[in-house]
Amino acid sequence: MKYDVVVVGAGIAGPIVARNVAKAGFSVLLIDKKPAIGTPKQCAEGISMTVFKKYDIPYDRRYINREIYGAKLYSPSGYELELRYKEASGVILERKVFDKMLAYYAAKAGADVLARTEAVDVIKKGGRVAGIKAKHEDEPVEIYADVIVAADGVESKIARKAGINTYAPPHEFDSSYEYEMLIEGFDPDLIHLWFGNEVAPRGYVWVFPKDEDRANVGIGINSDNPQTAKYYLDKWLKENNIPAKKLLEINVGVVPVGGFVKELAKDNVVVVGDAARQVNPMHGGGMAEAMEAGTIASKWIVKALEEENISLLQNYTKEWWETDGKRLEKVLKVRKVTEKLTDEDLDLFIQVLGSADAEKIASGNYGGVIKALLKHPKVILSPRRIKLLRELL
Amino acid sequence: MPEKIRVVVNEDRCYLCGGCAGVCPTLAINVSASRWEFFQEKCISCRICISACPVGALSGEPLGVGE
Repeated sequence: MKYDVVVVGAGIAGPIVARNVAKAGFSVLLIDKKPAIGTPKQCAEGISMTVFKKYDIPYDRRYINREIYGAKLYSPSGYELELRYKEASGVILERKVFDKMLAYYAAKAGADVLARTEAVDVIKKGGRVAGIKAKHEDEPVEIYADVIVAADGVESKIARKAGINTYAPPHEFDSSYEYEMLIEGFDPDLIHLWFGNEVAPRGYVWVFPKDEDRANVGIGINSDNPQTAKYYLDKWLKENNIPAKKLLEINVGVVPVGGFVKELAKDNVVVVGDAARQVNPMHGGGMAEAMEAGTIASKWIVKALEEENISLLQNYTKEWWETDGKRLEKVLKVRKVTEKLTDEDLDLFIQVLGSADAEKIASGNYGGVIKALLKHPKVILSPRRIKLLRELL
Repeated sequence: MPEKIRVVVNEDRCYLCGGCAGVCPTLAINVSASRWEFFQEKCISCRICISACPVGALSGEPLGVGE
């Protein structure tokens, strides 16, 4: 088989690249190792409303479970901070349908799509990657392409085999575990997040509502923790008297929360999404980041193919690092500081922050909030807290 | 120097999520859609995969001298 572009992995970034490049008239093959694209998912399934227009994705009820109007944050001692908008600010997706539909949009744009096709290695000819070796329903296939896109998730096998260094230290990953379950007593118009070093070390427990009494309930913790993510989630459910007896799904995974890949393109191979560690280090969400990276990557793939100049792919690395990479590096700095917060700090911050502050945090504007916190009497009396907050400015 | 181990999987617990392969610094683990594979010759016994597994499906068996 020979294509202009082969895309390995049909998560979020892969189908966006495949769709955009196919739309430009080039031949594209999108492969995924799963027999049903999108299944199983590894995701809390929440995404901002802004992405649909920004990345030209239909606002389709088939994969939108419900609209969300804000968030509620809970501190270790039970203090609460609520942020509620009049308009829907985000949605809870059905990722299994969403991912498959993104692959469908790529197919409609002209790409070929093969499920149950696993990339096992790269083909090298003349010192460069000429394609990939794969298995389609257990039959070996060789796929040759001018450009190879590694969108193969956290495992990033193809990028690594092509010589792109995607290594990140163990502390730059979260372990995550989630139930889709029946659960009651939480406002289904909001997402709910619990923080605390005993609750979810370095991360949080989430309840993302689906319907009135069903939710994606999960946890992310630092992956180098001696205990498992499952241990902490089950402990939280037990301590909050939430019965775990109506479990519709169990999903697990590891999420990169730092260690962004420096070299995003090497010769004719590019890496996008989780494989490139393009995830928000604060909340562990990576769908919007994957869409952004996929959009930038596809732009430069199209230019490289149009001008028959593969070296133009290097502009993907440059543009990403000048834009989203720069932003995510700042977010990573915030994550590293918040890791040092004690439960008392978390209690205090959630007590003293107002919904206007929460809105600033939600939009990524940490500066104004930190300045306000620095003026609070309980912060002024603590040199440690002042030092921590100043690290963020 | 870490104790040399062989990483083993409890297949009943494993979800084939691929996280262990993702954190492995030496590509000593491969997770396909249907199976988990370990390559002893690449393993450096760092135990990162064992810690990262969200469900505790991996463990390390000590290797004897010469294994």
